[in-house]
Amino acid sequence: MNRVVLTFVLAAVCGPVVSAQQALRPRAEVVAAINSAFRASWAAEKVTRAAPATDTEFLRRLYLDLAGRIPAVSEVRQFRADDSDDRRERVVEELLDSPASVRHFTTVWRNALLPQAASQPQFRGLIPGFEAWLWKHLSEGSRYNTIVRDIITADLNLTNANALASTTSPDAFFVVRELKPESLAAGTARAFLGVRLDCAQCHDHPFDKWSQKQFWNMAAFYSGFSRPEDTEDDPATMMAVVEDQESRSIKVPSTGETVPAVFLTGIKPDWSESDSRSPRDVLADWIVSDENPYFAKMAVNRMWAAFFGRGIVDPVDDFSEANPPAHPKVLNILADDFVASGYDMQRLVRIIAATEVYQLSSHQSHASQEDPSHFARAALRGLTPEQLFDSLAEAIGFYQPFRADNPFVIDTDSPRARFLELFRNSAESPLDRETTILQALAMMNGQFVGNATDLERSRTLRAVVEFPKMTDEQKLETLFFATLSREPSAAERERFEKYLKTGGATGKKNEALADIFWVLLNTSEFLLNH
Amino acid sequence: MKLTRRHFAQYSGLSLLGASASGWLAPLAQAAENQTHRKCILLWMSGGPSQMETFDPKPGEENGGPTKAIETSVPGVKISEHLPEVAKVMQHLAPIRSMSTKEGDHTRATYYLHTGYLPQGPIRYPTVGSFLSKELIDKKCDLPSFVSVNPFRAFSPAAYGPGFLGPSWSPLVVNSQMTGGEENPDVSFEVQNLQRTGSVTEKQADARLQLLTSLEHDFLATRPDGPGRSHLESYQQAVRMMKSQAVGAFNLEKEDDALRDAYGRNPFGQGCLLARRLIESGVSFVEVNLSGPDGAGNGPGWDTHQDNFDAVASLCGVLDPAYATLINDLEQRGLLRDTLVVWMGEFGRTPIINENTGRDHWPKSWSTVLAGAGVKTGQAYGSTTKDGMDIKDDPMTVQNLMATVCGALGISHESTNLSNVGRPIPLSDHGSEPVEQLLS
Repeated sequence: MNRVVLTFVLAAVCGPVVSAQQALRPRAEVVAAINSAFRASWAAEKVTRAAPATDTEFLRRLYLDLAGRIPAVSEVRQFRADDSDDRRERVVEELLDSPASVRHFTTVWRNALLPQAASQPQFRGLIPGFEAWLWKHLSEGSRYNTIVRDIITADLNLTNANALASTTSPDAFFVVRELKPESLAAGTARAFLGVRLDCAQCHDHPFDKWSQKQFWNMAAFYSGFSRPEDTEDDPATMMAVVEDQESRSIKVPSTGETVPAVFLTGIKPDWSESDSRSPRDVLADWIVSDENPYFAKMAVNRMWAAFFGRGIVDPVDDFSEANPPAHPKVLNILADDFVASGYDMQRLVRIIAATEVYQLSSHQSHASQEDPSHFARAALRGLTPEQLFDSLAEAIGFYQPFRADNPFVIDTDSPRARFLELFRNSAESPLDRETTILQALAMMNGQFVGNATDLERSRTLRAVVEFPKMTDEQKLETLFFATLSREPSAAERERFEKYLKTGGATGKKNEALADIFWVLLNTSEFLLNH
Repeated sequence: MKLTRRHFAQYSGLSLLGASASGWLAPLAQAAENQTHRKCILLWMSGGPSQMETFDPKPGEENGGPTKAIETSVPGVKISEHLPEVAKVMQHLAPIRSMSTKEGDHTRATYYLHTGYLPQGPIRYPTVGSFLSKELIDKKCDLPSFVSVNPFRAFSPAAYGPGFLGPSWSPLVVNSQMTGGEENPDVSFEVQNLQRTGSVTEKQADARLQLLTSLEHDFLATRPDGPGRSHLESYQQAVRMMKSQAVGAFNLEKEDDALRDAYGRNPFGQGCLLARRLIESGVSFVEVNLSGPDGAGNGPGWDTHQDNFDAVASLCGVLDPAYATLINDLEQRGLLRDTLVVWMGEFGRTPIINENTGRDHWPKSWSTVLAGAGVKTGQAYGSTTKDGMDIKDDPMTVQNLMATVCGALGISHESTNLSNVGRPIPLSDHGSEPVEQLLS
């Protein structure tokens, strides 16, 4: 294979990446190195970290981050009954092994790679095929570099628009970028390298080192795509797109100059050695190369952000000199290990979940914990619409129907689809998540939560109300487990038991239970990750 | 533990019931006591409307295309033939024909014209509706101070958010629903889920809110993060709306049929009528988006790279009656003198017509329009050369436009807000000045 020699343009920011030959260290050693890097940073910044998370605090967070939903009542009880020393590690393993985790990470990566698909209705039809493809890779434990290479070098099947949604393929990555060389270049750089080239399309990047020419050099790798009339914006005409696999240069529209395909590092590919490889193959080789200064760092940063709500570099996909990593050493440790492990995403998850920072409480005990870039306390994070609905479904005992032939197809009128639409969020980061007034109204008065807290219709509530041998205390505790995944505090117990005893506003105990269930479902503690 | 106490104090008046401006509504309480009763309506033309087919026609010029100019109620000021009703209310308008902004990318320009600042670095600038409603808020009003009707946010979500001002200043977003079927198409803006569900009594609902308040108090007191604050504030505003008669403003059926027809029975026309009703009810800022020939907001309709002339004509078919009726309606109710109406998009269109009979992005010389409040109307400000390629006189920057908007609303454009990076940021950027010639 043609090995490209790279210049380390980002070395000053990120430091060098080790070679793949470096031996894989035991996981515990990597975790310890990360822990000590944070401790050193806190000491230097005079930060007092928060207390360790309690078992139930950890469990709820882990379920949301690995399974995309809160734990079931039985799962909370089981975990609380477990007093073994390695119970936290074991639940990580159980969840990594579960279909729920494959599904959750399918959503996480789809959102990262096709951000347009959620926000722009015309692309939603592409989600099923892409998710099915991702699901296959993730369930088989595919390595990250394999997945990325398969996307960039995809053998595109664009002749049948209707087939796209049900075809298990990564084609959607190209379709949402309209098969335009410039959009594909910007999208590739941003998704896999964390480099924002977008502005350099029209002019030299105002805040970074990217020039307009470098942008088009990158676009030239995708220059084979052309359409009969290259002015149509309408995706329907994409079916007319043809690809010339020999094309290695592109015309810059504003200057008329034709520029060759060149890597962002300034190195030109050696075409004589590339044999029969297409420009996209050559680009993919460079992108996923162990020596690429951006590739592994971007991936671990994105994974980190999935567990903390913000990246070590934040925004997640904005690696630049103006935006240095908050903890460069940690980023390097993670990236080095990721490369050494052969881009093993499950190992990366195990490492992150085992760190001290991931297992801190969200309870703020010192002012120095307020700045989220210290990671000295678990910040409140917004749930994705998917996490929110799936947690709500778990809490109320709602079983979601799906299409047997393709569970990825979205029924736009299902309760889940309606929830996803209403709770779709425009915030760039989960730490900026905003609840809208309409969302609050839907939670308080909407039919879905209304049914869930209705004594006749709610599965969870009825189970609690009708269970013959449960005391009031146990009923209350069950509702807390079902929603907040923890037992009530002493003060809460007192307050709520009193409400139960008097029958609350209606004087009826069952109605009072419904009231309490409604209250728990509407708390920020239920509706946020923490 | 000092901090913990402070946060307890911050939330000590926390209540979802007695939801007046006390206690945990600290951000609202901090808002400046408004010196002015003025309001603002922004008519946003997503995609970038063609100046030559709207307020700066160039008949007889090659670049002007087939578009004719017509006389208006102001002698000497001519506008496009596509806006005959607007022409009749020109005495209440002040078109600015000399916008010059240097940003031709939808995402960046949408952010620029919505915030007055270019996107740069970590500062999250608030959208104009957020920072102006913070200045203009009427605390007696039970509705959110900023309402956004059918926004098309895909170009730049950040351009539509409260940025560093925080969630208290987020808009209430209302989307139109088509009703009446094909026979009798109509538009409504009902806010969903304002009524309690099923058999829940008011007493029961209040008891629930009381319990909820106690849990929120415990949890958020030591977790002072944005998402938690946003959760509380939106719940509080939602409860306030549920308990108020003011939501009747969203019910357009209370309006006279003839007036509803005059606005146009489409999402934009009825959105303009809704804007007037909300302004009357005490809402400070209403943004109404027009981005499709059906009056709805699902795409960048003004982005007329192809077939510009027909596309703009049909968009104007929606714009013209709505805009003109809004001005007349405000005027007749005595509201125009305190209500600023801004018409704009993110940029203009190329004077040179492209090979697809379209016009492309053009930030160099284009038009916006101000009306009402403190604006000196009945004049056109600035002008372009005969071919439309350059500004002839009085170039207008985004910053000066924002400063002028502030001036027309009786607000100091130099007022500052503390940004997320701890630096005070003026409403319009340093060095900007209101244009005196546009202010009465």
